Amino acid sequence: MVRENYIRRQREEHGRRAVAVLPIHYPKELLTALDLLSVEVWGPPGAPRSDAAGRIQPYVCSVVRNALAFLASGGADVVDAALFPHTCDSIQQLATLAHDFGGWKKPALTFLHPKGEPRPSSRRFVAAELRGLASRLEEVAGRRLDPDRLAAAIQLHREIDLHRAALLDGRAGLDMDDAELYGLLRRGEWLWPEEHRAELVAARSRLDPARRRPGAPVLVTGYVPEPIATLEILNAAGAFVAADDYAAVGRRIARQPDGPIGDPWEALADRLAAVPPCPTRATDQDARMRHLVSLLDRSGARGVVIHVVKFCEPELFDVPAIRRTFAARGVPLLYLEGELERQLSGQAVTRIEAFAEMLGQGGTT
Amino acid sequence: MILRRLQYELAARAVGPFLTALDDWQRRAKGTKARTGPFSPPLESLRKLKDMMTVHYLSGRYADGAVPVAWVTSGFPVELLRPLGFHTVYPENHAAMCGVQRIVPELSDAVEAEGYSRDLCSYVRSDLGSLDTGRSPAGRLPRPDLLACCTNICQTVLYWYRDLARRFQVPLLLVDTPFVYGEPTDHQIRYVADQLEEGIEMAEKVAGRKLDRAALSEAARLGRDGSQLWGECLETARNRPAPWTGVDGFFHLGPIVAMRGTEECNAYYRMLKDELQDRVKRGIGGLRGEEKHRLLWDNLPVWYATREITTLLGNGGFNFVCTTYTNAWAEASSLIDPADPIVSAARTYSMVMLNRDLPNKLRLLSRMTGEFGADGAVLHSDRSCKPYSIGQVDLKDRLASEYGVKTLLLEADHNDPRAWASELSSNRLTAFMESFG
Repeated sequence: MVRENYIRRQREEHGRRAVAVLPIHYPKELLTALDLLSVEVWGPPGAPRSDAAGRIQPYVCSVVRNALAFLASGGADVVDAALFPHTCDSIQQLATLAHDFGGWKKPALTFLHPKGEPRPSSRRFVAAELRGLASRLEEVAGRRLDPDRLAAAIQLHREIDLHRAALLDGRAGLDMDDAELYGLLRRGEWLWPEEHRAELVAARSRLDPARRRPGAPVLVTGYVPEPIATLEILNAAGAFVAADDYAAVGRRIARQPDGPIGDPWEALADRLAAVPPCPTRATDQDARMRHLVSLLDRSGARGVVIHVVKFCEPELFDVPAIRRTFAARGVPLLYLEGELERQLSGQAVTRIEAFAEMLGQGGTT
Repeated sequence: MILRRLQYELAARAVGPFLTALDDWQRRAKGTKARTGPFSPPLESLRKLKDMMTVHYLSGRYADGAVPVAWVTSGFPVELLRPLGFHTVYPENHAAMCGVQRIVPELSDAVEAEGYSRDLCSYVRSDLGSLDTGRSPAGRLPRPDLLACCTNICQTVLYWYRDLARRFQVPLLLVDTPFVYGEPTDHQIRYVADQLEEGIEMAEKVAGRKLDRAALSEAARLGRDGSQLWGECLETARNRPAPWTGVDGFFHLGPIVAMRGTEECNAYYRMLKDELQDRVKRGIGGLRGEEKHRLLWDNLPVWYATREITTLLGNGGFNFVCTTYTNAWAEASSLIDPADPIVSAARTYSMVMLNRDLPNKLRLLSRMTGEFGADGAVLHSDRSCKPYSIGQVDLKDRLASEYGVKTLLLEADHNDPRAWASELSSNRLTAFMESFG
């Protein structure tokens, strides 16, 4: 309801149209430049909002089943279009199921990003896809894309990335618990980017490099921090997230040098290529392992939490490699699998508590 | 190297054919065992099929070190590799063999212990488990020099082949085919064509020779003709009674999957087509008794329970006369143009059913039920294949309401019998049969 009211206000006060966006990677700068509010749909969590979830088999992830139920129940009717990035087999099928067979009556846009290692062919394809998407978004926005506005939007999102990276990197010196920090970072999924930037700037002022957060630092990797109780329990048990590799959060922060923008289309393609390795893009697995190890080393994390959504194939395929990588370094690891529940099971709570306790005692698996 | 090549050629040209001939002779000497159950005697071509596949796998045991070896996904444009002399191995085909032999739980256990989830595709778990345990119905698969993967059937294969690339430390040739909503855009086709050109460079390096473009055109022609011949075999089932069962088609797929783009493959399908047409002329059906109802099967087979399902249905006079799965290797063949093998392959391999949207699949299902006179359809809701299964609930409802086709959604997994509830499925199939009156 908060989001719905916000979307309405944005429309009334700024004349902004809105686009619901499915996970994960998409060129948000294009939407910002066209004055389109992007509102991401990660499920939403909890029980499906309508019986339409039953149109997809229960062995498909809850992100996709909940999204269909949400769209079909009118949960996203306040927006003007939906964008389905080419994240996985399930989301690409959802795009045709919801649009072609019912559940979503407004424009359905797709963004097909290439899979695998960057190649000359994939670079050309991304360039063409970006322009194709821009053209579809222009129709939704009812306005032409202004190159200057695009450059400004790219700059704005670069700044947002910088702030988000600073907060994640310096979190040990931040007087916020994990739930508060993730609440802030995830508001970027639906706030107008300038408002989100203002919140981030305010939060950065609370960073104190001299402060050392008590507790056992951990690295979290996975899809989306839901339910947030996962992190609350981790904190209560004496651990905190010192390094982040959630697809919804850290894996979308590009750490690029802040140089001149030049050709904005090239800059957009560069940004998409600059985000950390993500299994949904099927980039090099070794590079991802190196990235995770570097996150662990930089943050001083003493343990790793793998937090995945059940049936999420891209994430699940990397789990054995993550296990191998950290087992070889003697780093304890906790595997959590959920289905976007609102609450954690008692069993999961006990496992998190035991893991945090073990880290606090300096134990290993 | 020379000795290895000699072993490979001997296995392919002498030992393999000799062993299969010996096996044939022994079987003849013992007399043909009558096929039990509701089915007509097996096709004569089945023996040739078995011989071909045996020789293919036997020679494969000696391929590494003799010729370049590529492990290839079933939807990969294999025509590119033929002129470079690759021996091709199809892990999906191998996994299906593991499924038929019901050894998947044991193989899967091995990889689950390493952290692979049971929610991952059972083909992947089968093949990786086979590598871990050394158990294989094929005896031994040759070590690959190249992994060739096309995402037109799913993205799962990319994760699978990435894992194989790590295990074997060999290059991964990826052809990423963006999903087609409606019609493909020019830049989608261009992207796939560009990747094929990039892939040729990689394959040339591995094979140690340059691609002969004329030979590529010839391989494309052979591939197109083979797919067309396969389609013509399938089309014989439009006759009443159908001369075979759609499930026979699952097993006769072997050559078009594993040997596409070769004359041997095409010769086999010419023979099979002749035999099927002869059966049509003589009024011999796939079922021994009356073919009362004709069905369509959607999705991969349930490899370990195919016999169980078809026998139950066959006893009631129900025959699967067509399947979307076997049709997949025939549907886009007309798009292959030997004069333009790269761009036409880009288009052909992008346009396979699994890479296209649901309205296209509904059109395909309705067309097939119409052309084959199927009055019912069983849609296998396959726990291990999400791209094939998402949308089936709506497809089932639409087939019934818009096309008057009786439908059943059957829950299973194509390779892992632990996801199969035999009694429950029998009850559902029986109730489905009863609904025909």
